[in-house]
Amino acid sequence: MNGKAARSVGTIFFVLAALGVAALALFPLLWGLTTSLKPADQILAYPPLWVPNPPTLQSFREVWQQSNLPIYFRNSIIVTSASVIFALVLSVHAAYGLARFSFRGKAALMVGLLATSMIPGVAILVPLYNLAVHTGLYDKRLGMIIVYTAWNVPTLVWLLKGFFESIPAELEEAALVDGCSRLRAFYLIVLPMSRPGLLAGSIMAIMFVWNDFLIGFTLAISEQRRLLPVGLFTYISNYGVEWGQLMAATVIALLPIVIAFFLLQRFLVQGLMSGAVKG
Amino acid sequence: MTAMSGQDSVAAPPSRLAAALSAHGLAVLFIGPAILLVVLVSIYPVFDAMSLSLYATKYAEKAGFVGLKNYIDLAHNPVVWHAGVNSLVYTIGSLLLVLPFSLGVALLLNRQSKMQGVLRTVAILPWVVSQTVTALLWAWLLNADFGPVTYGIDAIGGVRTAILASPTWAMVALVGINVWSSYPQATLLMLAALQTIPRDLYEAAYIDGAGPITSFLYVTIPLIRSTLLVVVIQLTLLYFNMVTLVYVFTGGGPLASTETLALLVLKISFESWNLGQGAALGLIVTVINLVFSLFYIRTLGRPKG
Repeated sequence: MNGKAARSVGTIFFVLAALGVAALALFPLLWGLTTSLKPADQILAYPPLWVPNPPTLQSFREVWQQSNLPIYFRNSIIVTSASVIFALVLSVHAAYGLARFSFRGKAALMVGLLATSMIPGVAILVPLYNLAVHTGLYDKRLGMIIVYTAWNVPTLVWLLKGFFESIPAELEEAALVDGCSRLRAFYLIVLPMSRPGLLAGSIMAIMFVWNDFLIGFTLAISEQRRLLPVGLFTYISNYGVEWGQLMAATVIALLPIVIAFFLLQRFLVQGLMSGAVKG
Repeated sequence: MTAMSGQDSVAAPPSRLAAALSAHGLAVLFIGPAILLVVLVSIYPVFDAMSLSLYATKYAEKAGFVGLKNYIDLAHNPVVWHAGVNSLVYTIGSLLLVLPFSLGVALLLNRQSKMQGVLRTVAILPWVVSQTVTALLWAWLLNADFGPVTYGIDAIGGVRTAILASPTWAMVALVGINVWSSYPQATLLMLAALQTIPRDLYEAAYIDGAGPITSFLYVTIPLIRSTLLVVVIQLTLLYFNMVTLVYVFTGGGPLASTETLALLVLKISFESWNLGQGAALGLIVTVINLVFSLFYIRTLGRPKG
């Protein structure tokens, strides 16, 4: 086989493999989407119908108007945005402190932080449940927000510390000489320059909180405080499953996070990789 | 914040001591709150779990010190050992599938092509999908009466199977959907490592007469070795501790065939409400995590040959 033929065989193989991977990644999502758009009588068909004919928003209307999905959705939005904002505020300051100040025990502190992020969540659910019950934070959004904030801090501090260290300290020193205070130098010079790091950290934290099931499952009990993943789970465990409505609810749960992913994926990859380089 | 900037200006004339003190104060003010929260929400609960694991419990309250009874009961319970075996099967099975697959996808994404951007977005999309949604989507795909996968098996093999009703196939399906859900993060890490390999190395290997397989084995693999180690550690811990995917997909069934140790922690704690024993098993899971990490670092983390 000459080089050119080998190359085109390689290209064909590449295209086939790429299509295979794309199909595997997309198929479950597309099946969920078409189910959510089918009229009721086409959902339970065998052999399955691939395309809804005609597509209808009936399932979406039903699940949004006749279930508590809007409440779950609102709770998830509130808990996710509050905990991500709190986690960012705390981590930005801690990471800057750790990047710019030197003190005894700093390395141990960083390792300790990393170690806490390796404690399996499921192992401390019982103590967290107890803590929430005893502090009156059980079945409150604030209780969940506090735990999610804390669980995001270690990774965010590691990620952001790396970003701050990559910004030359001379920039701040020049500002200090010009009479700028240390705080102003941080907020007005360092933070704006760390935008990619902040965005990478945000999308990682958003994905974690929006998608997590365990904390919403253990720290809240009432419909009024239920988060989306727990709400989706109770659909299948409580009633005979209405697959059309369940898939519509699933699409609604996926929508915000998929949009966030498309907007921020550039930073996400960057963030993950900068974390990866440090191991 | 205002108090701090005030302190900054008080420090004039700037003696070294005052500057050091003010920098020190600022450091404490910046780092303190984050550390405090982590101590309260991540570290204190570990100690609380240790204490709780030594007590009998009733309605979330300690009901009496029982020493190591919770641990001894767990050790004598065949359900726990069975779950331990399931955890191993699940973790090792998933690793064996996901490592070659995610490396293959990473190699595809590392190739120069016009489709590269779109392909990367599509290939890592399952990463965004939560474990809850992954489990629900696949439960519907594998539905015994109407699922397209069931139909596919029927059309090719002529058998209509209820995959999730069979203990063996339920575990196979669980491993499969776990691979679907977790390969993107492995792929991204491997891709990052692949992109750091200079092109000239491959050219040099080509000139020396190395084919694609030889250069993969002797150039690529050694150079991404440390990343592979990171991936293996991350995924082992992820799989071993995974609760949500299993709980939503099979609930541990049928016949406890997919009940893993991590899932058992959740069930003992929040279904049987035996919080003391749940805390004890949670700590055992944590210790196994530590052992895994140390083992990997000792055996695979040796200086690159």
